[in-house]
Amino acid sequence: MTELQIWLMILGVAVVSMAPRILPVAFFSRREMPPLLKKWLSFVAPAVLGALTAVSVLAPAGKIELTGSNLYLWAFFPTLAVGLKSKNIFLTLLSGIVSMALIYHFIG
Amino acid sequence: MLYHEKEQETGILMSKQELYQGIKGAFPIVLGYLPLGFAFGVLARDAGLSLIQAVSMSALCLTGAGQFIAVGMSKAGGSLIAIILTNVLVNLRYALFAASTVPHYKERLSPAVATALSYGLTDEVYAVSMNRYRTHRATASYLAGLVFTAHLSWVGSTFLGAALGHFIGNTEQLGMNFALPAMYISLLVILVRRKSELYTALAAALIALLVGHFAPATMSTNFNIVAATLAGATLGVFFRD
Repeated sequence: MTELQIWLMILGVAVVSMAPRILPVAFFSRREMPPLLKKWLSFVAPAVLGALTAVSVLAPAGKIELTGSNLYLWAFFPTLAVGLKSKNIFLTLLSGIVSMALIYHFIG
Repeated sequence: MLYHEKEQETGILMSKQELYQGIKGAFPIVLGYLPLGFAFGVLARDAGLSLIQAVSMSALCLTGAGQFIAVGMSKAGGSLIAIILTNVLVNLRYALFAASTVPHYKERLSPAVATALSYGLTDEVYAVSMNRYRTHRATASYLAGLVFTAHLSWVGSTFLGAALGHFIGNTEQLGMNFALPAMYISLLVILVRRKSELYTALAAALIALLVGHFAPATMSTNFNIVAATLAGATLGVFFRD
């Protein structure tokens, strides 16, 4: 890619990543939202995080790996346990990173 | 007059408090963004972006997956149009997030402020703020503290990665590659409270894996995530607590 093409890529990606965040808020802030849509939207957060977690742990390289050699699967359980027990984002995140470092050294 | 001044003073104190809460709320996000932004900086340089371009991309785009895909595709010789179209798919989920935040902003944030601050709505900012709104009212100060801190750490860590990346070897042995999954896990456990939410998360997880398995191309565009979110949230409406 040329210098100009890279800048066009950056601007293009900026437009298509900002528009979907800004436009719905601009639109619905000034209108009433139907109750059923509101209820539906309340399930978006659990749905997207369930999907992101499953894919990032079970298919870390873009392909489902349900085997013992998938280190992400090993790191998942201690991280989940700390998360459920502490309900603290910082502690959970830290325990995930530390678990992975230990697993990498002892299993990987 | 005196009463009015006092009111104003309390207002300023409260919004300072809210701003501080927002900055504090962003700390776990910062911890997750440091390795990710760093990694992006390294990859961007590797794909031929200059230091200024790498940092500008993080400042202007603020889309982790989208940026990784863009530099990955450009390195592999992908066309500009293909890169941007892929990013449209990757970023589709933000439209759902954005729409679902609006009921919390009604009558608390002006439409202009709510719209402006929504530029910073990433997966992580979304989950942390939605968790906050379960127990607190939305305020512009809180959201600004959260969004600016997260954005700054994303740009700063990109700079570090792009400038110093070649000095650091393998970050895998530091467990950094698990930062993103660990972030998702931690956000998941704080967001899922009701049974209907648990079933929704499990259903969406299964759908994302099935779609990704039978249509492997959707894995790299995150389109399986979008499909699973649409289907999962629809099922959620029918689940009972």
